[in-house]
Parts: sequence; C-alpha cells; structure tokens
Amino acid sequence: MPLSCSGLSVAYGPRLALNAFDLTLGKGEIRVLIGPNGSGKSTALHALAGLIAPSGGEVSVGGRAVASFSRRDLAKRLSFLPQQPAAPDEMTVEQLVRQGRFAHVGLFRSYSARDVEAVRWALDSTGLTGLAERNLRELSGGERQRAWISAALAQEAEILLLDEPTSFLDIGHQVEVLDLICRLSRERRVTIVMAIHDLNQAMSVCDRISLLDKGERVFDGVPADLAASGLIERIFNVRGRFVTIADTRAPHFDVELARH
Amino acid sequence: MTGLTVAARQSLDRPIWIILPLALILIVLAVFLGVADLSPAMVLDVLTGHGSENARLIITDIRIPRIATGILAGIHFAVAGLLLQTITRNPLADPSIMGISQGATLAVTIFLFFAVYWFDSDPHKVYQLPVAWLPAVGLFGGLAAGAVIFLLARRHDLGPLRITLCGIAVGAVLHALAMGLIAGWGSARIEIVLQWLSGSLYARSWEHVLFLLPFTVAGLLVLPFLRRSIDLLRFEAPVALSFGFPYRAQFTVVLMIACGLAASAVGVTGPIIFIGLIVPHLARFIAGSRFNLVLPLTLLLGAVIVTAGDLIGRLAGGAEEIPIGVVSAIGGAPILLALLRRIR
Repeated sequence: MPLSCSGLSVAYGPRLALNAFDLTLGKGEIRVLIGPNGSGKSTALHALAGLIAPSGGEVSVGGRAVASFSRRDLAKRLSFLPQQPAAPDEMTVEQLVRQGRFAHVGLFRSYSARDVEAVRWALDSTGLTGLAERNLRELSGGERQRAWISAALAQEAEILLLDEPTSFLDIGHQVEVLDLICRLSRERRVTIVMAIHDLNQAMSVCDRISLLDKGERVFDGVPADLAASGLIERIFNVRGRFVTIADTRAPHFDVELARH
Repeated sequence: MTGLTVAARQSLDRPIWIILPLALILIVLAVFLGVADLSPAMVLDVLTGHGSENARLIITDIRIPRIATGILAGIHFAVAGLLLQTITRNPLADPSIMGISQGATLAVTIFLFFAVYWFDSDPHKVYQLPVAWLPAVGLFGGLAAGAVIFLLARRHDLGPLRITLCGIAVGAVLHALAMGLIAGWGSARIEIVLQWLSGSLYARSWEHVLFLLPFTVAGLLVLPFLRRSIDLLRFEAPVALSFGFPYRAQFTVVLMIACGLAASAVGVTGPIIFIGLIVPHLARFIAGSRFNLVLPLTLLLGAVIVTAGDLIGRLAGGAEEIPIGVVSAIGGAPILLALLRRIR
C-alpha cells in the first residue's frame, strides 16, 4: 500500500478545512479528488505531501508515518506539484528538471551518471528532450506544465500528487497532460492523486474518485457509482444528468443550462 | 524558434572573459591615479621597493588599503544583495530591506552621541571622536537589526513577503530614530555621521581591510557549498520542500551569511547600498542562462564597480572628493532602470 491516510484533519484557526479524511491507494492507481472551490482538495493534497501539519490523523507512505521521514527521504518516495508553480526567471527546462534530483544528490554531492540518466529519462517521458535548452518563459502553458511534471518525474518517486495540473490550460494541453499522467500510471506503475475541476475529465481518467464538500469526504468509489449517487447535482448545485457514451467508458455529465 | 536561438547566442556571446583583464587594468589605474600628484615613475619606484618616503606613504598607506577596502566591501555588498534577492524572491531587495544599513546607522549615531562624553570631555576637539570604533559599532547595529527582523518574521511564518515587509517597517523606524537623534543634537558630530552615511572610502586604512577580511574569507569559503541552496531558494517553499530541500534551515543559513557580509561592510564604509541592488542584476544580465556564472560574476563586478566608482569620485571631485555612495547611486540609477526594463 503505497499511500494512505486515516482520520486526517486540518484546521486553519477555528475553521476545519479537512475533517477526518480517509484515503487508501493501491500501486499504480489514479485517484482524483473533486469538489467545489474551498472543499479541501488542495488542503488534502498538501497534508498528504507533508507540507501542512495535520491537526489530527496520520498519513503513511509505504506503511510508515510521513512525519517520521526527513524531507529528502520523503521526496524520494513522493513528489508533489502545487497548483500553478512559479519558476525562477531565466531557468531552462533542463535546469528545472535537474532540481528534481535534489532528493538524490543533496546539497553537496555532484550529479552521477545515474542522475544524468534520470533527468534524460524524465525529459524523454514528457516529450521535452527537444526543448531542454529552452527558457521556461518561452514555453506554452502545456509545455511548461509538462516541464514541471518532468521535474517531479526526475525525483523517481513512486507517488505523484498533483494539484489542478490542467487548470488554465486549453483543452488540447489538458488532454496532453492527462494522457501523460495515464501513461505514468499504466507503464511506470506510479501511484497518482490529483485534484481536477473538470468533472468529465476526472471521471474518465481516474480509477477511483473522491468527492469532497466543506472538508468532508462525501463519496469515495468508482465513477459509475458516483454517477448513480445523485451527489453531483446536490453538491455542485447544478442541474444535469449522466449519459452513457460507451460501455467501456465512464458516464458523461451533461449540464443543463438555465437558458434552455 | 529562430527568436530563441538568437537570444541564446546573444547570451553566449556576452564577453565574460573580458571582465577579468578590465578589472586588473582598473586596479592598476586606481593605484596610479589620485588627487596627490605622483608621476607613474614615482609610483613604480614605490611598488619596486624604492621611492621617496612621502610617495610610499601615499601609495602603501593610503591608496592601496583604500582600494583593498573598496574591493572587499564591493564583494560584500554585491554578494549580500544577490543572496537577499534570492531568498526574498524580490528583485529590489538589498541590504537596506533587512534593516541592516538603518540598524548600523542608528548604532553609529547613538555611539557618537554618547562617545563624546566617554572619550573626550573637550567639545572643541572634534577630531578626537573615536572613529576607529565605527566599523565594530556599525557591524553590531546591522547584525542586531537583521536579527530582530529575522525573529519577528520567524514568530509568524518565514514567508519572503513577510520578511521583506517586516524589514522595510523596522528599517524605517530605525532610520527615523537615527535622523531624530542627528537633528536633535546639532554639534560637530553631524559631519562624521553625514560622511559615514554617504558611504565613503575616504581614509580607509589597512585596519579596515583586516576588519573586513575574516568576513570575506568566511563568506567566500562557504559560498561554493551554498550554490545548490541558492538555486532551490529561488523556488516557492512548497515546491522546494517537495524536491526534498530543507527550506527553513537553508533560508536561515543564507540569510545569516548575507547579514554578516552586509553588516561588516556597512560598518566600514557606511551604506553603499546601491551596489547590493544593482550588481546582481548586472551579473544576471551578463550570465544570461548560464546560471553557474551569476555568483562569480556578482563577486567580480562588486569589486570592479566599487573600485571604478571610487576612482571616479576621487578624480572628478578634486580635493573635495565625491563619496563612493554618491557616485554609485548617480551612476547606478540609470543602469538599474535599463536592467529592470528587461524584467517582465
């Protein structure tokens, strides 16, 4: 069991941003977190990544409590990509991806052949080998997001947490990023937890889906069960229905707009 | 695609190798040129171990220690500026945003205010004021201010924005206190404080070089080990932490080194703050995407620009020389504006 948490709670002052959150992931699984704005998705990811100290509960990575890892040891097991990360000016794709090796090289050791190979592999897996020397500022939004994922890959962690990796991208670049995430899960057996806003993308990319509302997990299961639960209309306060597109695919949510 | 290759080539073409010989020529010029009218032959005589008593005094006891002080202080200000800009992720950061120069100013002002009574009871003997103590007092004031700001920021969260705002606020208070003290006393001490405040290398001797040198050596010995930290501190904390980087600890280490370098230099020369602001930008501009060069270039350019600025101030002002702080601000402002236009 690569990643799990139980009873995970996070309080910001008096406000409980996440309440008794449970999650268990199998190896290579893709878990998507959905929920309205402010429902605690991002808080949950930060707590899973060990970036927020929880007010209750525990996260374990490979059966060991996250709090007992040093930052470097944790980074070898788990990498986290925040929403819209900002890169320093004048940084090339390759320089960014090399930072992903920090967990392995530390402050002083120089890059070995093994590290160089990991960077090359990370660039190659994200289709960025040809853009390695490019300045990050010159890339499109999709390419830049791929560069960040590439840096996370260079970490060679078996768990990848992503906070809204497709937000602010056009649909072509959204699909590009989601395809990459699927390949990582299927080919590399990377365990993935990510928050996304687009419900239909969430349903089609995930193995299991968790729905959060006001810090509470209100659903956890496979997409078909979520479609049958009627929770989407209630939690997101929208009207619509799930339609079946193909037997092998997750049902598709069709929103009903007021003007019709 | 073509736009990029042109940009990349431009940055590779920027001639870095040329800076080193330029720096050497500049230092030679600084030794040979000055207010005291010594012919090149007389200077050469001194350098080869001959020359008149008077010429030797001017060269070895006045000019060379002054140049050496300038080089060391330039390195201190420039490297401190680079480190502070890195950890605060603020391109306009310099030693004044950590309250270092204001803290040093206040300490020097308070010291002079009381020193008259401790050291000399005769108020007419103004030049008996204990100026030899100023570097140590300034260093102490600068470090104390940096420590206060660091502790204030730490009590909440070590966010770069908070530490910047904290530094600006505390710095403003310290500065106001110093100004109030100066305005209130109205004696001959003002002249010394004003001279110190303008940032000057006038009458800096071997003692000042020896005062700075331990800090320079310690700083330069540590810097090579901080290169990876400096790269990672440029990221936001959550990103750096998820790379496995111990953000808080390294932030503290780098901040302390920056404070030590800046406060020691402020103590010796007074606040030549513009150097810390401008040199890192110049170094980044010249280095382009060649990251590894930013640190060595900052060091080199810090030394070069202070030496050049001081030489200009000595020659342009004649007997009434223009302090380096003034030269660097007047000359640096247009350069800074030009460089900042490139930042999007």
